[in-house]
Amino acid sequence: MLSRLSLAALIAALPALPALADPATLAIAAPFEIKAADPLLSGDIFLKLDVMETLVNSDATGALLPGLADRWSVSEDGLSWRFHIRPGVTFHDASPLTAEAAAAALTWSWKKEGILAKAPVAAITAEGEEVVITLKTAFAALPAFLAEYRTGILAPAAYGADGTVTALIGTGAFRVTVLEPPLRLEAVRFDGYWGGPAKLEAIHYAGVSRAETRALMAESGDAGLVVNLDPASVTRLASVKTVTVHSVSLPRVLLLKLNAAAPFFDTVAERRALSLAIDRAGLAQAVLRYPAAATQMFPPAAGAWHDPALAPLGYDPEAAKAAFAAAGWVPGPDGILQHDGQPFAVELLTYPDRPELPLTAAVLDQMLREVGIAVTINSTNSSEIPAKHAAGTLQMALFARNFALVPDPIGTLMQDYAPTGDWGAMGWDNPAFTAAVRKIAAEGGTAAEKAALSATLQADLPVVPIAWYQQTAAVSNSVKGIVIDPYERTFGLKSAEIVQ
Amino acid sequence: MTFALRTLAFRLLQAAGVALVVGVMSFLMMRAMPGDMAFRIAAARYGYDLASADLAEAVRTELNLDAGPLVLFGQWMADLARLDLGRSMVSGLPVWEEIAHQLGASLQLAAVALGLSLLIGPPLGIYAGLRAGGRFDRALLVAAAALRAVPQFLLGLVLIVVLAVQLRLLPAAGHGDISHLVLPALTLALGLAAASARIARDAMAAFAASPAHAFACTKGLSDGQVLLHHGLRAIAAPLLTYLGLQFVLLAEGVVVVETIFGWPGIGHALIHAVFHRDVPMVQGTALVMGLSFVLLNTLIDLAVRRIDPREVRA
Amino acid sequence: MTTRHLGFGLLGALVALALIGPLIEPLGPFKQTLLRALAGPDALAWFGYDHLGRSMFARLSQALRLSLTIAFAATATAAALGIFLGALASWRGGWLDRGLSLLADSVLALPALLMVLMMGVILPSTPLAFWAGLAAVQWIEFFRLTRSVARSQLASPAVEAARLQGFGPVWVFRRILWPEIGPMLRTATAFGVANAIAAIAALGFVSVGMRAPTPELGLMMVELLPSWREAPFALLQPVAACFALLLSLNLIAGGRE
Repeated sequence: MLSRLSLAALIAALPALPALADPATLAIAAPFEIKAADPLLSGDIFLKLDVMETLVNSDATGALLPGLADRWSVSEDGLSWRFHIRPGVTFHDASPLTAEAAAAALTWSWKKEGILAKAPVAAITAEGEEVVITLKTAFAALPAFLAEYRTGILAPAAYGADGTVTALIGTGAFRVTVLEPPLRLEAVRFDGYWGGPAKLEAIHYAGVSRAETRALMAESGDAGLVVNLDPASVTRLASVKTVTVHSVSLPRVLLLKLNAAAPFFDTVAERRALSLAIDRAGLAQAVLRYPAAATQMFPPAAGAWHDPALAPLGYDPEAAKAAFAAAGWVPGPDGILQHDGQPFAVELLTYPDRPELPLTAAVLDQMLREVGIAVTINSTNSSEIPAKHAAGTLQMALFARNFALVPDPIGTLMQDYAPTGDWGAMGWDNPAFTAAVRKIAAEGGTAAEKAALSATLQADLPVVPIAWYQQTAAVSNSVKGIVIDPYERTFGLKSAEIVQ
Repeated sequence: MTFALRTLAFRLLQAAGVALVVGVMSFLMMRAMPGDMAFRIAAARYGYDLASADLAEAVRTELNLDAGPLVLFGQWMADLARLDLGRSMVSGLPVWEEIAHQLGASLQLAAVALGLSLLIGPPLGIYAGLRAGGRFDRALLVAAAALRAVPQFLLGLVLIVVLAVQLRLLPAAGHGDISHLVLPALTLALGLAAASARIARDAMAAFAASPAHAFACTKGLSDGQVLLHHGLRAIAAPLLTYLGLQFVLLAEGVVVVETIFGWPGIGHALIHAVFHRDVPMVQGTALVMGLSFVLLNTLIDLAVRRIDPREVRA
Repeated sequence: MTTRHLGFGLLGALVALALIGPLIEPLGPFKQTLLRALAGPDALAWFGYDHLGRSMFARLSQALRLSLTIAFAATATAAALGIFLGALASWRGGWLDRGLSLLADSVLALPALLMVLMMGVILPSTPLAFWAGLAAVQWIEFFRLTRSVARSQLASPAVEAARLQGFGPVWVFRRILWPEIGPMLRTATAFGVANAIAAIAALGFVSVGMRAPTPELGLMMVELLPSWREAPFALLQPVAACFALLLSLNLIAGGRE
């Protein structure tokens, strides 16, 4: 019975075997899983696929551009922002984008602990053709916050009565036809798009978790755009004639978080000594396989935050040992450092969602052992890091931190280093630094002010930067116009095309 | 008729047992979990870039996680009694809606894999069983053991490289088009075929040595006719029973194959649910997996009974 | 018969590698030489180096040790539990028998994956979770086996006579049941261990098993998979070890009388 059933299924499968990709459809493979139609949960994917849009956009340098708001202004006191809604924009259900609809979507995101909950927002209202956001205190970074995916604008019909998102009705260049979490999304060209119809007729998104599989999809031509390649596949795909591998430097940094309140890391001297024990170049070459050793916190992609004049973080295990000895840590009989009878034994938390993290942890373990630090690696769920931060029991944690959550690193700095944060400093308090961060967030800052903050982070080392990430993607040579965005907001699909 | 009733009664009891075991396990899980459930759910919802103590607190309030495991467990059990699997703590969607698509995808894959394995395995097994002890028989034993020992991801990778990358016959991975089904199904089918070949071989060898076979031959029936009229009947029953039990083992293989081929599936849903401490999803997925096993085996019991009325349950 | 001997021989060699390997090799499974990443064999690392320049030989022998230990421990626990409960169920009969059978049938419907995952949440360490989860699934096979044998044996005149003579359940088990069950155990144990090893590797592969940097066959496969084109031999080593292990156990189980 079962066999007859499956035979029927098999026979049904056979005639469709030579189904090859439609020439005007772009197939995309990426590791990101879709959770639901809710922009708070999966808006990053919808934004990248040009299904959903935000009021503000950004370019490859992080500079802000008009999006669904074609212009904006702020009052003299900095407390009232007016975003003028672009006229003539319609949602995929043909309803018009009004200031009311945009204000409702933003209010929904704000109340649901979206990014706006991190800004001093007092009220969001619609006045004529404008969305007015009233603040409790001045906040210059507000437009950058409105470029984040969690502030994506969906049609009023997308929100259910109970506050859940029931359908994915955006304004983007593609209209969703199939949304099957966790791995599949299909969308067709939206002819009513305000920016003019896209050249691609349709896009098919597939969530594929294994990087090897994604690389094979690029090689076999099953996917025209493959995002996030593993280092070995980059080498391999470079020799495949039908695809081109692109890579850009990202404002994402591999960081070693230290509990500066723990006896191991409570002085700057100890943190610097630890930093000296790390061979960043060797590590990057072995694990990431591109020259990505971090010489300071911010990568060159972070604009003014990166200061090329800053003395780079170095590698000198002998100096590290000497510095530890000066701080009272001397090797015990087993080679492990000791201070007043306490051994230098620490737990290193990390998570396997990004495959390079456990590998980096394993390499760090060996490097730190060289100078006499006993490390226990605990590769677990990523949420253990904020959980142990909150409980105060964290010692060291290794993770990848995105400084472009909003297209301005100030958003991340505010959350992480003013004065502490789940994914940033712990047990560290530098009042001058905190004040400077808050000032830049409120009023904006000059390049010199930003460089000064970078210098403080370099001198104090509340966290130890290890490496800068690169975003890699394989694009089929028949696909033109794909954008690899360092701010991870777009693939450029609305202007991409397939040429023969 | 009484047989069917007894089967049904037994399977109903088994279904209730499954629900009970899943319930107890979920309860133990709830009790064993330290107070970081809100953090886990926050990380699952918003990703590692955004998970924070603030969001965890918001999750805790929204889902009323402070109520304590006993209260929460009571809630879920009450929902279950009303045949309501509840809502996922991560996506907020009804659990049933979440599972339906992934279960469908898994079942589709498993069914096609079983079908393919039946096309490959039993014919080889029958041939070997007819000449038990022969060279082909011994070769098949080793080949089957070898095939079962190859890790499925390697098999899958080799199939992708050969059939998708080199020959460009099939898509490498993905989901949506029916052609995406072939490679993962084939990967699973090869391992299953090895097992079913051995079962068929043993049943066939036993039948070939039995008086029934000798009698059929003396009646003057040709080899093919004997096989068709009597042999298939003799091997179908043990094969079906075996496949019913294999279904649960298939779950492990399916997870690996699904990961390699980017195929959505129930195993994937289960792993994520356990990782994210999404208890309603864990309960829902485990229950649905267990109950589909029970249902499948009920059908097989009835089918086996029709094929071979002598078979009596212990 | 010969295939079974082949199986025992192969298994013996692997067990020897697991037991002796870590004692005689010089590097240990964690020592990294980044410059030698994915390099071939040399005097120190006899099977070459992995992607972090760790000795493949050291890691492989440690991984075999881990897989074999967990698999045998889980199967042994499952066998002891299953045989005990099976004998008890058939000895006492009645509601105990029905209750245990129902429990067995219910657990049978749940995949081992679920058990191991749930144990992973409940128990603090991963090897312990594997042991408990696998044992929780595998006892059923032994339970059913013992129960079916015991039910027919306990009704026999020999047992009746023994009971009348005042021999207790332990005597009956040792003298009457064990000789019947013992031979069947070989097949069940070999399959049990094989399934356990496959499950550990499969879970390692989907990143829910052992944690890096612990050497484990499935985990080693995942870690080396990205370099499958540059260093196929490195990837093939854990695959071959897993293959040989499963093959030997399948041969032991499958050499039919």
